[in-house]
Amino acid sequence: MAAVAGAALAVAWGGWVAGAVVTVSALAALRAGRLRRVAVTALALTPVVLSSLAVNALLPAGGGGLAGALAALLRLLGATLPPTVLFATTELDDLLIELEARGLGRRSALVVGSALAAVPRTQARAVEVIEAQRARGLDTEGSWRRRLRGVLPLVAPVVIGSLAEVEERSLALETRAFGAPGRRTLLRRLPDSRAQKALRWVLAGLLVAGLLGRAVAVLVAPR
Amino acid sequence: MIVLDEAAYRYPGSAVWALGPISLEIAPGEVVGVRGANESGKSTLCLVASGLAPAAIGGELRGRVVVDGRPTSAHRPHELAVRCGVLFDNPPAQLTGLHRTVYDEVAFGPCNLGLPVADVHARTRSALDVLAIGHLADRHPQRLSGGESQLVALAGLLALGPAYLVLDEPTSRLDAERSARVAVAVARVAEAGVGVLVAEHDEALLARLCDRVVDLGTPP
Repeated sequence: MAAVAGAALAVAWGGWVAGAVVTVSALAALRAGRLRRVAVTALALTPVVLSSLAVNALLPAGGGGLAGALAALLRLLGATLPPTVLFATTELDDLLIELEARGLGRRSALVVGSALAAVPRTQARAVEVIEAQRARGLDTEGSWRRRLRGVLPLVAPVVIGSLAEVEERSLALETRAFGAPGRRTLLRRLPDSRAQKALRWVLAGLLVAGLLGRAVAVLVAPR
Repeated sequence: MIVLDEAAYRYPGSAVWALGPISLEIAPGEVVGVRGANESGKSTLCLVASGLAPAAIGGELRGRVVVDGRPTSAHRPHELAVRCGVLFDNPPAQLTGLHRTVYDEVAFGPCNLGLPVADVHARTRSALDVLAIGHLADRHPQRLSGGESQLVALAGLLALGPAYLVLDEPTSRLDAERSARVAVAVARVAEAGVGVLVAEHDEALLARLCDRVVDLGTPP
């Protein structure tokens, strides 16, 4: 709830709201000991940030100037950091259990889980392919040109391997009665205190009020 | 009983018949071995006997494959999973990748059936115990060795309580001690009335385990 509310409000309002969302996200990541992972995600936005700076600050058509570029950056960070903190601090199976417990169907939960698990799986597959290609003499070190040349032979095995794995996984699920009718048994539930429930309602209220407030502000603003 | 009656199969898009025609019966409590050279169709036989081919992977089946009196095509996939568990020759791919402990991974099948929590725990513990891998219960499934993955994948099938087991090279990644453990587990489930089809290269294991062995020979 916090991730959804934070991201939505940051996008809708930008400015100090986005700044507050970024700050809270960073503090939450720090408290959970996942600041580095969240920082890596922030760094992954560098190309977008640079292009935004170029458009806003250097090109006359951009119009926003440096302040506009920083505002766009803040909004972008506000939209991406809350979900990043969520996935960095929540175990995949805990997330799926809670989603199913709250009424999401097993197939929908599987789609969410598979999508989230696909990233580390693809990374692991890429490492395997790189090691296999190196064993066959492919040079992936040295200048950027050489590195780039080294990346191209990896693409096909990683993509094809990932597609084959999807087929294997779907067969594996068939062998484990995944398509059985009715609700799955949930072996455990995560602790959910009254304070957490209350906070979720507050956040939901904040989200609705924030979005409505933004819509009104846009509608009544002088043109 | 699983009955293959002149069953022949070819994969989607292939002009070559990967299996058969072959006739074979696996009775409850019986352990039937399958030997044969590479490419002779052992893995394909496992997919056909368990009903995954052609139901889940497509392709063309000729002849009949019947499980407990009904053609495999008449069973829904989850019904087949409960009747006939199949262990692939690449066990890590048989793990779901969605769980953080081996215990939860093994419990995945019983949970899918919507069984009461106590039953799920009982089946999961029993499956881990029968393969003597209770010590792996808290380990992460993605950080197991190949052999451990093989045992965990097999435990996941046993937890479903199938009437038949189809095992494609179940000891290919195991050392001698663990292979013996699998052999003991298979013998135990067969004694309990489970019919087992085992495709293996290990002649000694086949001789030790099986009531009879079918030879698929060499590919043409």
